[in-house]
Amino acid sequence: MRVLITALFIIINFFIQSTILHYIEIRGVIPNTTIILVVSYALLRGSVEGAIVGFFTGILQDIFFGVSIGYFALLNTITGYLFGRGNHNFYRENYILPMMLCAIAVFSYETIIYITGFLFRGQLNFLYILGNTLLPETVYSCIFTIPLYRILFGTNEWLELKEKYKYRLF
Amino acid sequence: MEFFEAHKKQIILIVTAILLICILFTYGKKTNATFIENALGFVITPVQELTSDIGNWFGSKIDWISNHDTLAEENEQLKEQIALLKEENKRLKRYDTENKRLSELLKISQKYAEYETTGSKIIAKDPGNWYDVFLIDKGKNDGINANMVLTSPNGLVGKITESGATYSKAQSILDSRSSVPAMSVRTGDLGVVKGEYSLMNSGLCRMEYIDAEAEIIEGDEIVTSHLSDVYPSGITIGKVKEIKTDANGLTKYAIIEPYVDFKHLDTVLIIGDMVDKPAQEAQQ
Repeated sequence: MRVLITALFIIINFFIQSTILHYIEIRGVIPNTTIILVVSYALLRGSVEGAIVGFFTGILQDIFFGVSIGYFALLNTITGYLFGRGNHNFYRENYILPMMLCAIAVFSYETIIYITGFLFRGQLNFLYILGNTLLPETVYSCIFTIPLYRILFGTNEWLELKEKYKYRLF
Repeated sequence: MEFFEAHKKQIILIVTAILLICILFTYGKKTNATFIENALGFVITPVQELTSDIGNWFGSKIDWISNHDTLAEENEQLKEQIALLKEENKRLKRYDTENKRLSELLKISQKYAEYETTGSKIIAKDPGNWYDVFLIDKGKNDGINANMVLTSPNGLVGKITESGATYSKAQSILDSRSSVPAMSVRTGDLGVVKGEYSLMNSGLCRMEYIDAEAEIIEGDEIVTSHLSDVYPSGITIGKVKEIKTDANGLTKYAIIEPYVDFKHLDTVLIIGDMVDKPAQEAQQ
């Protein structure tokens, strides 16, 4: 059940991000819902599931839009792993922390893409990219975190309740 | 799950290593989709097409509402334009027949070959903000291969980088990895039209390596040159918006405004095999 719903989330996110989200772009920037999904999973379920979700979202993006297989998969897996490490240390009901962590994740993720994909090809205008892509995308993603985290949190609660009865955990 | 929890550091290291090797070995070499990719494409692209259609429908409705007042006026203008163009078209047709007759007399080959084109729909765009890659709904089953060229009625759009059974991955000329050998129609000056990230969102690109003594000016029309293996010559790209001299003073670069409106592009034409008449005649 959990596997099925997670797969559904990954695929729906991919559809929406590659089609409909382009209609609500602001100055050519769309929110990075993939990273929101990965970070939310990592926060709710820990680093292992974060890494797994990261791997599959990344591989999907690699297959359909990447130049090489594994680039986005690697980035997303590591994001999921790193952000899941602290999931036992805070209250999941809180909204501020996911927002801040998503902002940090999006910012560092895009900076890595800039360094590997653009800086090495001699595009040195980091300030332009900072002002026109990195910061707007971070803010836009931050706002999108609220509804998405709410949906994922609700689904997770429901699944955990079902699992509790099924496996008689408590 | 307990196994994963216990050995997660080792597992993440192994996965990282495998993915790094994958990146190195698959970088930029793939032109055909593998079996797994084809299977995924078979499932995923129809749904993308559907969501894309829904998005387009809403987009067109919103456009209709916001442009409602100017539509009648625009219609009048377009009618006038059609009349003018029809007139010009007749004139050009006469030139065309004359040209053919003269070149037959002179026994020189036609400069511009004729191409077969197929229409195709854009079904998805890159989910990130960095590149301008998109998927189209035709693939190997329709005879589409990598390195075929995409155009729209207005001009050059890009090329296909990878083709699967039912879908193809394409790169537009605004993408910062694309470069198209080009020339100015009026003066014949050569250059290379490259995408640039900072110009991508405003729908512009950049023509580099223009000779410092070239007589290119603003408003010149730019077409693809004969120097490319991929792009056939003579496809319009756009017009020159601005010309600047490079820091070294030896070459110039120009900002090009493509004729294609990349923001509202939803169908493209794929240029198929060249119907290269002179070449066929030469073989016979």
